[in-house]
Amino acid sequence: MKPLRPADLVVIVAAALLVGASWAALWSGGGPAEYAEISAPGTVPQRLALSSDAVVEIAGRLGASVIEVRAGRVRFNESPCVGRQCVHAGWLSRSGQVAACLPNGVVVEVGGGRREFDAVSF
Amino acid sequence: MAAGASSMPSVSERAPPAGPQRDRLIAGFAALAIAIHILEAALPSPLPGVKPGLANVITVVVLLRWGWGVAAWVAGLRVLAGSLLVGTFLSPTFILSASGAAAALLALWLAQRLGGRWLGATGYSVCAALAHMGTQVLVAWQLFIPHPAILKLAPFLLTAALVFGIVSGVIAAVVVDKLEAGPEAARA
Repeated sequence: MKPLRPADLVVIVAAALLVGASWAALWSGGGPAEYAEISAPGTVPQRLALSSDAVVEIAGRLGASVIEVRAGRVRFNESPCVGRQCVHAGWLSRSGQVAACLPNGVVVEVGGGRREFDAVSF
Repeated sequence: MAAGASSMPSVSERAPPAGPQRDRLIAGFAALAIAIHILEAALPSPLPGVKPGLANVITVVVLLRWGWGVAAWVAGLRVLAGSLLVGTFLSPTFILSASGAAAALLALWLAQRLGGRWLGATGYSVCAALAHMGTQVLVAWQLFIPHPAILKLAPFLLTAALVFGIVSGVIAAVVVDKLEAGPEAARA
């Protein structure tokens, strides 16, 4: 008997796909974040638990940044800046991720749980 | 037992001998599997839960040659006697080992039902290894450490299972080959 038959290859490929799917489904780098820490100029950083959905307005240098917490993730919904880098950063959900609106001086960092990276930048 | 069997299409399986001869066959292979099991238990492991699973070679070889029934006996005896000898009987390790072996046997049964005509040793071995590891992770997560971190380990463990499954499958294929070609004395 040959060590590998065609059907064995089929099984191995299927198994590899399954293992790949397990990586995609279960491996998410850093652990899920538990809170968002929001810093704005002239204020003490405030923490929002990611467990409860909320929309908050944070006053910055230019105006109010709208920050939304939903389903364990947080994002900049809107910010009065030009490039909207912060909004394009999208949802933050893994511990250690940061989104910042530098013109407005508002920084959102998620933390808690296990962190893989000290920071994640784009 | 030899002449007729070689004309079977592709699976080298033959009817196991009956009665005491069958028992002797099971006992012999179970002893081999137990020896490998214990040798492996003595090896240090880089990651908890990662073992080459070479005892699986025996299960697959027996499955291919004498069918699922004998293989189930051999694997069951290996888990039971192996744990008694290593000293983990009824401990979490034993429960993991037993559930893994049960899942592997179930996977082998399914694989044989669905693709027995086409599958070779490697295919069976990979099925068994993944079923074994997947079940162990789930059982460990459900019974012992209900923390999501266990599930995060799953991709690592499953990758290891795939690699070791292929390796022991190739070994099993070689062993089946040798048994097939060897002298009559090597067959019983």
